[in-house]
Amino acid sequence: MNRFTFLAILLLLSGCAKRETPVETGNREKILHLGNLSEPKDLDPHVVTSVSAGNVISALLEGLVAEAPNDPSLKPVPGVAESWTVSDDRTVYTFRLRANAKWSNGDPVTADDFVFSYHRILSPAMGSPYAYMLHLLKNGRAYNLGTIPDFEQVGVKAIDSKTLELTLENPTASFLSQLKHWSWFPVHPPTILKYGRMDEIGTAWTQPGNFIGNGPFILKAWRQNQSIVVQKNPLYWDADTVSLNEIRFYPIGDHKIEERSFRAGQLHVTGTVPLDRVQYYRENKPELLRLDPYLRSYYYLLNVKKAPFNDVRVRKALAMAIDRKKIANFVTRSGEQPAYSFTPPFIGSYKPPMLFSTDVEAARKLLAEAGYPNGENFPATTLLYNTSDLHTRIAEVVQQMWKDNLGIDIELENVEWKVYQERRKNRLYDIARAEWVADFADPSSFLDVWLTDGGNNHAGWSSARYDDLLKQAASTDDSSEQNALYAQAETILIGEQPIIPLLFLPSKSLIQPSVKGWNPSILDHHPYKYIRLEE
Amino acid sequence: MSRKPVKNSLWADSWKQLRKNHAAIAGLIILIILITASALAPLLTPYSFEQQNLELGAVKPSLHHWLGTDTLGRDLFTRLLYGGRTSFLVGICATAVSLLIGVPYGAVSGYAGGKVDSVMMRIVDILYTMPFTILVIILMVVFGRNILLMFGAIGAIQWLVMARIIRGQVMALRKQAFVEAAIAIGASHPRIIFKHIIPNVLGIIIVYTTLTIPHVMLMETFLSFLGLGIQPPMSSWGLLIKDGASVMETYPWLLISPAIVFSVTLFSMNFLGDGLRDALDPRFSKGKF
Repeated sequence: MNRFTFLAILLLLSGCAKRETPVETGNREKILHLGNLSEPKDLDPHVVTSVSAGNVISALLEGLVAEAPNDPSLKPVPGVAESWTVSDDRTVYTFRLRANAKWSNGDPVTADDFVFSYHRILSPAMGSPYAYMLHLLKNGRAYNLGTIPDFEQVGVKAIDSKTLELTLENPTASFLSQLKHWSWFPVHPPTILKYGRMDEIGTAWTQPGNFIGNGPFILKAWRQNQSIVVQKNPLYWDADTVSLNEIRFYPIGDHKIEERSFRAGQLHVTGTVPLDRVQYYRENKPELLRLDPYLRSYYYLLNVKKAPFNDVRVRKALAMAIDRKKIANFVTRSGEQPAYSFTPPFIGSYKPPMLFSTDVEAARKLLAEAGYPNGENFPATTLLYNTSDLHTRIAEVVQQMWKDNLGIDIELENVEWKVYQERRKNRLYDIARAEWVADFADPSSFLDVWLTDGGNNHAGWSSARYDDLLKQAASTDDSSEQNALYAQAETILIGEQPIIPLLFLPSKSLIQPSVKGWNPSILDHHPYKYIRLEE
Repeated sequence: MSRKPVKNSLWADSWKQLRKNHAAIAGLIILIILITASALAPLLTPYSFEQQNLELGAVKPSLHHWLGTDTLGRDLFTRLLYGGRTSFLVGICATAVSLLIGVPYGAVSGYAGGKVDSVMMRIVDILYTMPFTILVIILMVVFGRNILLMFGAIGAIQWLVMARIIRGQVMALRKQAFVEAAIAIGASHPRIIFKHIIPNVLGIIIVYTTLTIPHVMLMETFLSFLGLGIQPPMSSWGLLIKDGASVMETYPWLLISPAIVFSVTLFSMNFLGDGLRDALDPRFSKGKF
């Protein structure tokens, strides 16, 4: 080795040793690097449905009420509204907006902005997937479905520029928690109208530079499939609380790559942890691993419009022949809980009914009654899922369990996420994997999915009695009575079994020790304004 | 173009030459072992390729499980043997499809010459520009997923190369005396092509077949990697490598043995193919190609 090579290598080595990782730089400059799992399709709160978009939106916009930094009960705290009063019959809420709540261009946030926003999401022409959240409002549903053409009749009124009155169809105990969902967030009317009609979707208003928000951060850059960068908003009313200067959201869909980025010091917090790494972190670096209870239900959808799944006995047999404990303990192994109901057993005081258990004998009997003794003559069936290690592994295990326990041979089909979504929406499947993450901490966030006109009801199942019970529950203010109604509704749902509940998945993430204020939350919400980074 | 004086038959001569090529012979032996083992899989292992043992989970290679077990507790050795069945089957069937289309097509094109040849070869050129992956995805979406379709899809791509090679050979043969003689005594065109010309390009066909099979097996791996190949619980080497790669940091043995077996197979086939080329087609010998 000659002298120059030696010197060059020395230089290279010293260079390597000194280089700071993005996490270290971030800790110093208060830049949070977040794994965000997927690229948001849009950042319009009235359009998006994905958790990854919701994460970014929660940094950019703020609703009437907000979330406290560390409160397991998830009690709503003042957001844009500094205070509110409720009428005696619990249907009229009057919100007093903060005088210092401003849009990021300096305009004050007014009650009229909220009226505009709710008008927008409820517009029939907009077809917003989350419009049903606002069906709580008086005549909200009727306007959204086009039966009332006049928005004046909907229960949204600006008393003056800083006073907003919301009138509900029925008293709803969970109303304030529902307000924390992004579908209730305001948008800046002049910006929307500058780039298109009020009810137009996909316009340029959500682009960096155009986006005007009222949240703790403003949109600085959006590089497709690379990152979304948001920066501290100096005009935010509570800017003093915000400690971070910048957040970068990385849409890393491959969990293994995300974990590798974390190890390389490129991410502060990951969106998830790869299936087989949980065990490793649990044993070797437990301080970096976070497994928290989460309102997330993993289940299989059955196409009830199609034989043999139009027979409830077949559906029940399939559900009973799966050993969920085995899957949780030996396959997924990340703190999953076996699910025998659609609603997790840890939402407030609601305890879902336990209507079935793993019972192979009973399952075989039901299947025989349905005309398929020992699985004979069972029609060719395909289990559809989107490509992912977790889904593949669970599907393979379930396939084997059905084969061993019922004699049914099903085929597996994995497809790309968009194809999967399309097929599920158009009900082009026999059995499909699915999951549901609650939008707010109330059983109705789960049970409303299966309403006859629920935007996410992909099973083709509907029950008038079920709809009715949920309607009653929504208008009940007494929580024990409400829980009883929810339980009745869930009894119908699980009794008819258009879905096969499998597991309740925890929220999994890897987190650098420098991140402070990232508290467990059953909604996996971590209000960014309270997050701090330590050097 | 000089041919050896035909004393011994061409085949005996070639075999003699092939035997001298140690790499090719080693490749041949390894392939025979692997194919036999795959074919006799049920006799060689007490386990089933799909029987899961969830309580066991992934364990390292041991006396009970020679190559360890995968995350669902399935014996990897067994899955490797059964995977070999799929991989060899894909390789052989898809190559057969490519021969079935490519050889007659190339022969007709080369024999006819002129405008017919131009048109037929332009069609090949056009098909050649079609992106393979997209074609396969489209086929899968339209016809649904099944293993036969995959043979067809891969074969349908591979025949293009075969057709070009055969055409070149046939063009050279077509002006030779024995073809003219056949024409003179009034043999029909199909008879000339299939009775006289194709037997003369058999050497080339064999060589390219041995080179196409590994190529096709690699394609199956590639499709499995995209999730378009074989569906679980069936196994193929491609699928095993894919699954192994996804857990390589936690359970490295799930990647190592399938990867080694697959690489060894590819090496063997390529060595054998090279050896056969040298032996059967003297013009290409000495590694010029």
